[in-house]
This record gives sequence, structure tokens and C-alpha cells, in this order.
Amino acid sequence: MTSPGAQGGGALATRGGAAIKRMKWSLELSLGNSSRNRGDRQSKDGDVMYPVGYSDKPVPDTSVQEADRNLVEKRCWDVALGPLKQIPMNLFIMYMSGNTISIFPIMMVCMMAWRPIQALMSMSATFKLLESSSQQWLQGLVYLIGNLLGSALAIYKCQSMGLLPTHSSDWLAFIEPPQRLEIMGGGMVM
Amino acid sequence: MAWLVVRLAISVSLLYTASAVFEDQVGKFDWRQQFIGKVRFALFDTHSQASKKLLVATDKNVFASLNSRTGDLFWRHVDNTGPEGHIDALLMYGQDAVVVVGNGRLLRSWETTVGGLKWETVLDTGSFQAAALVGVQDHVKYVAVLKKSAISLHDLSSGSQIWVENLPDSDSVQYQTIYSGGDGLVFVFGVVPNSHIVIVEYKIEDGEIMNKKSVEAAWMSSLESSCTVISSGILLCVDQITQSLYTLLLQSAEQTEMRQIHLQTLDLEVASGFQPVLTSAQPNPAQPPLSEFFLQLSPDHHILLQLKDGLIVPLRDFNPSYLAAFATSGERTVAAVMSPKNDTACSINLFSADTGRRHLDTTIIYHMDPNGGKPNRLYVHAFLKKDDSVGYRVMVQTEDLTLTFLQQPGRVVWMREEALADVVTMEMVDLPFTGTQAELEGEFGKKAAIQDGLLPMVLKRLSSQFILLQAWLAHLWKLFYDARKPRSSVKNEVSIDTLSRDEFNLQKMMVMVTASGKLFGIDSKSGTILWKQYLENIQPNSVFKLIVQRTTAHFPHPPQCTLLIKNKDTGIGNLYVFNPIFGKKSQISVPALPRPVLQTLLLPVIDQDYAKVLLLIDDQYKVTAFPSTKNVLQQLQDTASSIFFYLVDTSQGKLSGFRLRKDLSTELIWEVVIPTEVQKIVAVKGKRANEHVHSQGRVMGDRSVLYKYLNPNLLAVITESTDTHQERSFVGIFLIDGVTGRIVHEAVQRKARGPVHFVHSENWVVYVYWNSKFRRNEFSVLELFEGAELYNSTVFSSLDRPHPPQVLQQSYIFPAPISTLEATLTEKGITSRHLLVGLPSGNILSLPKMFLDPRRPEVVSEQSREENLIPYAPEMPIREEWFINYNQTVSRVRGIHTAPSGLESTCLVVAYGLDIYQTRVFPSKQFDVLKDDYDYVLISSVLFGLFFATMISKRLAEVKLLNRAWR
Repeated sequence: MTSPGAQGGGALATRGGAAIKRMKWSLELSLGNSSRNRGDRQSKDGDVMYPVGYSDKPVPDTSVQEADRNLVEKRCWDVALGPLKQIPMNLFIMYMSGNTISIFPIMMVCMMAWRPIQALMSMSATFKLLESSSQQWLQGLVYLIGNLLGSALAIYKCQSMGLLPTHSSDWLAFIEPPQRLEIMGGGMVM
Repeated sequence: MAWLVVRLAISVSLLYTASAVFEDQVGKFDWRQQFIGKVRFALFDTHSQASKKLLVATDKNVFASLNSRTGDLFWRHVDNTGPEGHIDALLMYGQDAVVVVGNGRLLRSWETTVGGLKWETVLDTGSFQAAALVGVQDHVKYVAVLKKSAISLHDLSSGSQIWVENLPDSDSVQYQTIYSGGDGLVFVFGVVPNSHIVIVEYKIEDGEIMNKKSVEAAWMSSLESSCTVISSGILLCVDQITQSLYTLLLQSAEQTEMRQIHLQTLDLEVASGFQPVLTSAQPNPAQPPLSEFFLQLSPDHHILLQLKDGLIVPLRDFNPSYLAAFATSGERTVAAVMSPKNDTACSINLFSADTGRRHLDTTIIYHMDPNGGKPNRLYVHAFLKKDDSVGYRVMVQTEDLTLTFLQQPGRVVWMREEALADVVTMEMVDLPFTGTQAELEGEFGKKAAIQDGLLPMVLKRLSSQFILLQAWLAHLWKLFYDARKPRSSVKNEVSIDTLSRDEFNLQKMMVMVTASGKLFGIDSKSGTILWKQYLENIQPNSVFKLIVQRTTAHFPHPPQCTLLIKNKDTGIGNLYVFNPIFGKKSQISVPALPRPVLQTLLLPVIDQDYAKVLLLIDDQYKVTAFPSTKNVLQQLQDTASSIFFYLVDTSQGKLSGFRLRKDLSTELIWEVVIPTEVQKIVAVKGKRANEHVHSQGRVMGDRSVLYKYLNPNLLAVITESTDTHQERSFVGIFLIDGVTGRIVHEAVQRKARGPVHFVHSENWVVYVYWNSKFRRNEFSVLELFEGAELYNSTVFSSLDRPHPPQVLQQSYIFPAPISTLEATLTEKGITSRHLLVGLPSGNILSLPKMFLDPRRPEVVSEQSREENLIPYAPEMPIREEWFINYNQTVSRVRGIHTAPSGLESTCLVVAYGLDIYQTRVFPSKQFDVLKDDYDYVLISSVLFGLFFATMISKRLAEVKLLNRAWR
């Protein structure tokens, strides 16, 4: 019982170490089931062992396809409110990471800033997701606001870390030296 | 606890500023040259044949030993400056050199091999007259020192005083010279001018006066210059007016009058207005001198004479001849005579002293430097060759203080430029591009673009690119070629033809002006003298001002420097215009300056040849422009109303400001009088014209900006009180706007006195004074700020500044005296500033300006920590790592010159005094170049390794995937 190859005509093949997506046991009725991998072909002879109509594929739950409006709505609201739900978590992370400029806070801030921006960039995809909902526009707006709030939070964090050029000192390097109007020189009488 | 925090903060801040030279960096970009000054006494060590020592004593109070084979210093002793360390006499006997120092203050004996002091005796007071070695029975045992009113005899081996005797009638008789012929007697000669000579005879053993006589000599005014002792005790004098020689037998009682020998009887005549000079030789102090002597009749006429049986016989006439000297080797004394050969060369010949016969094959040809001065001193080192003939080497000193050591038949063994011991002012000039670079630059010149069309320009461009490629390939080839050679054989020869700007403009031409009027062009990288030019007829107390009118940036126009030389006595100045790279005098016509020049002003206005305009202000406050072409005059008329200058008259304590009128006259617009009864102005400094300030303000802890008060017209005036009593003396500093005369700030440091050293730069002034109350040196820093807002950020006009600046000041204790002070300077002014402090010990301290910051807090706060301010501590630290010249001390450092390089991090520093030291400093470390010890091999091997590892692992991954696919 170590390897399927050695097993030969085993009806029930238990393959502990072969693959991850493997059931404890399986029956195969159809001959040319292509979903099987090579190793399984060797157990062709044992096909007869499977009961008729047995398939090891998980059978899709067809009941979902029956439109449960409420569930769709709920699911869409989940998507729309996702960014808003993130905010308390973000606040906590912000508080924890502090205002010192070092690699971890910077990474946090970058993540915080990048995620809403990414979400805003893929707005159209999200809208497609929400298509089926009746409150599509409201949900879209909530999603947008959530993301905007997220990015505002990131900007606030940047501000409190001093990463935003909002002070006059941040523009100091760009001030040109003033042009002098008078030419002056001289010295001690030689 | 708080103190601990402060200490911690300081040590953390030091981590960033500490920057010393690593051991393997020594000599990599720095060099030092040591000098001695103008030679006053030079003696060759004839003690042994193989000796290479040459002892010199100079006017810079330096006593040194030179290696006569190489010209290098064996050792050098630098005494105090001024009369205190003045070397009055140098005598040598055997291994001992006896020196009289400080107008007869000290008598010292030095061991000549290692330069150690054997003994030192303090002499009695009295001004020094003469010193001589005294010998008894063929042994030199004593040294006699003659003072104005006393004579003392000292033991040569221990320095102990044998006896001291007062001279008779010393208030009326001027005793001047001393003589001893080894017969147990010391003769002292004195003179009563235009009356008689006094000769006093002392017994060596106990100083008893054996004899004293006075001889009529109504013609004599000074003994020293006109008399000498020859033969066995015969005083010989020469007089120009009576055209005669006089002789006197010293030990005869009956001769009471000098015997007169008319020069006419010898067919000789002294040139009119020339003081004739007698030169005799006493080879051994224990024996009487030779009976032969030189008589110099005119600047280029010497004659060798001999006293024989009371008669003077000419042995040989040297006409023309510049210099003559005796030299002794063993028992034989020779005379070397330098006579002109042609316009550019002199020949030196050897003659036997007793016959005047020329030695065969002893000619040395001395080629005179066409840019140098005439020879004025000749020192001869004679030695016996294996075949018992006399060989010799000579050292020639010229007017421009060049020491040349020659050997037969005219080979220059070594050369020293002692004029460099007294550098007055200097500038650093960029080197020109190489020919190819210059061609590329010139290609797009204004004139070329107008002349050529489009196609020729394209072709030109292509051809010049091709030339550049060629040059680059040649450079690579040379690098490759040099790399194969062993390191030592690659010579870094620098010559004027191969000179070109390097990648980062780190190599520059140092143009140095010396007090003797000799100009030097020195390569800053190696210290090689590339050109020299001696300006004749420079008065000793002239004032020099060196101005760079055109840099090398304006190809094909050559760079141009102008030297203003002002004669202090007459006040008349003249201009010397030259090319700083090649040292050649420029052909440009120079304006005549009939009136004394008071000051100069270099305008940023340029003429059509890109030369900056120099204005010269004369004593009638009229202005002369140089160059003064029509174009320049037109520009001057347009800008006249915005050209101001200030003059400081220290004698009247007056500062006055003038404005230029269109007709090049001036009008007085302001005057500030600092009463001279109370205080005198000692120094005035504006800001350096080539200084750039990158940051217009300082960032505070709360991230607001404190804007700097960057007034380009601000002057710092330092005054000292005339009352020098330590309780009442003070040092004052005035900050005056040079355009309006407005006193921006004034501060007084009570109980302080000079000398004040100060630096004025950006928005700060740092000055050092002596605190006479606490007896210590103190630094004080003044910083000026405009406040949180700029009044006008686009233009700066002194005429429109309604708000006075905020002034902050702090003082610190500095634990050492200071010789000079300067600040580093960089290209763009981004790099933090350091102060370069020249210490009397010869070290140069690079002190971060950060320590001199009036905003240093006494109590540390969050904001001050944010600003990186070091907490205030009154004591300024001196750390040995801050000495930029490690053990290469610069004797008597007098000035430090800083110049920016092409690298923002790097500032070139030249310290000059008796020595010259050149180095580079990196105030913020080398942030823009890789370090010297950057591990190229490691980095590139890691990079390549990673690259190959990626390649291999990629391949392996592919193989593995394929295998899996096959499974």
C-alpha cells in the first residue's frame, strides 16, 4: 500500500502522499475521465469496481443558482462596506506603528495608502460585481467613500509622520538666492 | 543624569563629525614643503670629508641643517619671530655650532649631526656687536661675545662664562668687532666716528686689559663694513673718500697712526658711490688669518691683493666679477670668483689664494634663470680630491631667494625656492581643459556659430567627437600601459604642457605671491613649481593684491590675473597682468596710475573678452577702470548708480561709503566715525565673492523656517580699545551695511583684547579674542536671521530693508591660542561648513561650525533635539582627529586659503607660513564620491555571482519543470 503503481488492480486506491487534492478514497466509473492524472490510469482495470454514476467530482450546489435576492444584496453590501470595515483596523495599526520614520511604519503607511488607491483604480471591476444588486449605485458610492476615507487616513498618517510637504521648511531647498541689486566692494586704505 | 544625557548627545553628534585621515591616506592628496627663509649665514661642515651637512641661519630666525646632496632638511629649529629669536651670529667648530640669539640674549651650542642642544647660556643684557671663536695654541676652546659695553668669554664645551669685563669708555666709543689670532689675546675694536679707533687688548686667561690704544682715523665712520684683520695681526681698513687703504700693526707699541696706502699707487679706483668691501679669510680661529684678501671696488669688480712685507701687491684683478669667496679645505685655501660669461650664464672659477693662479678644470657654469634675480651670495664648499687637488661645490643665493647648489661642470644638484617662506597672498585658478576638450568647448563659441552654416557645424561636431574618442582610447591605452609597470616606476611628472583639468576639478594652479616679489605657479596636486617669475624693484614693504579677472572658463581667451603692487612709501601702485597658468606676462596695455591707489573693486561686469572689470580708486576718489574699452565704459555708465564702495581709514577711524557717478567720479554717501581716542579699527571684512549659500534658512524643530539674513553688502568691522589696561580693554564688533552705512549690529566684548581673528561668511561672524579677565582665548559667534518670513525673496537691496535682523550670539572657551582662522568653502554651499583654525603648534584644526551655533540650547528640549542642536557647553573641544594635517605641522602658519573644487563635498585647503601645506577636506564626508577603500572587487564579484546564480537557477528550474511535465 505504498504506491499506486505497485498496487496494480486495487479497487480502492488510497494515496496518502500523492497529491493534495485527494480524497481519502474514490470510485471511478468512466474510463477516459480526463481529470485523473497519469498515475491513476494504471488503475484502469479496476473501473468496474466503481458503482455506476459515481463521480468523485464535487457536485455543484445547484440551489445557489436559484436567485436568492436577499443573499445577493447581502453579499454586495459586504463588498461595498469592506473598505469601511477596514478603517478601525487601520486606525489601530496606525496607533500601534507610531510616528517615527523607520521601515515598518513606512511599510504600513504604504500598504494603507496603496490598498484604497488600488481599489479605486479597479472600480469598474467592483461595479461589475455589484451589477446584480438593486442598490448598485448606493453601494458603489459607499464603496467609494470607504476607499476615500481609507486614503484620507493614510494621508493623515503621512501628515502626522511628517511625510507631507506642508511646512515652509519643505520648500526651503527650492528658494533661489535673491538677486543682489547693488555691487559693493572696497576695504582698508592700502 | 542630565549631564550624562548631554555627554551622550555630544558624543553622538561627534560620531557624525569626526573625520580624520586614515594611515594609508597619508600623502595621497596632501603635501607639505618646508622652507627656511633668506639665508644669512651658511657654513659647510668641513669636519669630515664625507659630511653632507650645510648649516644655515636665516632671517626667519630659523637655524637648520641641509643635506648638501639633496637639499632636504636634516633638522630645523624655528625660533620665536621678531627680534627675540633673531640669529645674530653663527660660528662652527668641529661638531659644534654656536649661535647667538635675540640680540645677544642667549648663547647656544648645537650638536650638528642630530640638531640637539648641547648647552645654552643667558648672556648679560646689552646689544650684541660681534662674536668670535677664540683659540689657544691651535685649539679652539672659547667663544668671545662682544656687547655694546662688555665682553665675555665662554667655554666652548660647556658654555660656562670664563670672565666678563666692562669695556672702557663704552658710552663714547662704539665697540664693533673682535679678533683673536690664537696668540692668547683678544682684540676689541671700537670707533669714535670721524675721530679715532680704540683697540683694547685682553688676556684670554683672566680678561685683564693688556694694552689699550687709540689711533687717529678721522675718516672712519664704521669699523664693521670697512675694516678687517689680515696676516698676523694687521688691521686693514678701506675708505672710499680718500681712496686709500690703511694698515695698522696691532701689537706694535710705536705705531700710533695708520699707514695710508693710496689706491692710485696700485692703479685702482673705487667706483663713485660704492662702499668698498674687504673680505679676508681666517681658516682656523686658532691661527692668524691669511695675508691675502679681496677688495671689492664696484658691484662687479673684485681684486685679490696680498700684504707682503708691509706692501700691498695685487695678485689678480677680476674685472668683471660679481661675487668672490674664500674656502678652505685642509691646509689649502682657495678663492672662488663668479664672473659673467654671457647674458644668461656666469662662470665660477677657482683660484689658489696665495698666488692667484687659476686652478685648471674648475669651471662651474651657472645658468641664470631669465625669470629670476641676480646672484648675490656665494658659499663655497671646498674639498680635497683623491689626487690631492681641490674640488669644490658652490651654493648661490640670488636676489629672489633661490638657493642653487652646483657642482662641476655646472650641474644643478638641487634648488630651493626660499621666497616661498614668505607668501603674502595667493589664489587658486582652475586648470584649462586639454586641447581636445577645449576644442569641443570652442566649437560652439559665439563667433564660430555665426561664421559657419549648418552642415559645417555638423561635420565639425562629428570630427570633434572623433577626436574625443581618439583621446579617450589613448587615455585607456596609457592606463593599461601604466598598470603593467611596477608602481614605483610610474612617475607622476607634471609639466606645464600636460597640465589639464581633472574629472572633478580637484587639481588647480596655486598662484602665490611672495614678499620678495617673486610669483609662483604651483600644481596643487603634487606641489611642483610649474612657473616662477621674479618682479624686480619691489620695495620690501610693498602691499600686494591679487585679482583673478578671467578664469579658464572662457576659451579661447587665456585666463588672466592682475597683481596690484603698491609701494608703501610713495603710495604709487602699478599693475602686473599675467596668465596664471603659464606665468607669462600679458601683452594687454595696463592703465597708468599716476595717483596713489587706495583700493580696488572687482565688478561682476565683464567686457566683450569675458574679463571682469577692475576699478581702482585713487586718493582723489576718482575711479580708473581696467580694462577700459568702450563697451566697459558703456556698461559702467549703465550700472554706475548701483556700484558702491567703502574705504576704511584706520588712522582717522573713519569708514566712508561712495557711490559711482556716470563720469567715473564718486560721491560720498555715508560716513561712520569710530573715535580713535577710544578704539581703533583693526580689521574689516566683507563676504567672499565666490561664496554660495544653498539654504536660505534654517529648519526649526517645529518644521518652520528661520530665514537667514544674507546681506551680501554686510561688513564686519573689528575694533580694539586704545586703553590696554586689562580691566578696561575691550574688543568691539560692528556689522555695517556697506551700501547705506547703516550699523546693523554692534557688540562689545569687555575685558578682552586682541589679536582678533575672525571669519565673516553666510549669515554669521565668528571671532576669537583674548579674555584678559579669565586669561583665556574665547570664540564668539554672531548669527543674523530675518525671522520666520522673508522680506523680499527675489531681490536683495540694502536700500530697502525696513526690518532689522534678529541677532543671536554665543561665546565659548577655546583651550589654545590661535594663529589664523578661515572657513571651508564649497562649490554650491550645500556641504556643512567647518572652521579651519591654525594653531601656533603648527596644527590645523577643522572645527565643525555646528559647535559654534548661537542656537545651541542650555536646556535640551524636544525641538532642539529635532534640530540636532548640541547642548551648550562652554568649553570647545579640541580633538586630535580634527587635525587635518596629522603630524605635518605648518610652522608659523600665517594664512589659510580655501577654494572650492568640482566636487561639492570637497574643499581645497592651503595653509602657508614658513611651510606650505596643501590638502583636501570633506566637511560632510565624501557623500558624492565612493570612498578610497571602496571594495570594487567584492561588490562586482557579488554582483556577477548573483547574476550567474540567477542564470543557473533559472536553467535548473526549467529543467526541473520539464522533468515534472514528463512524469
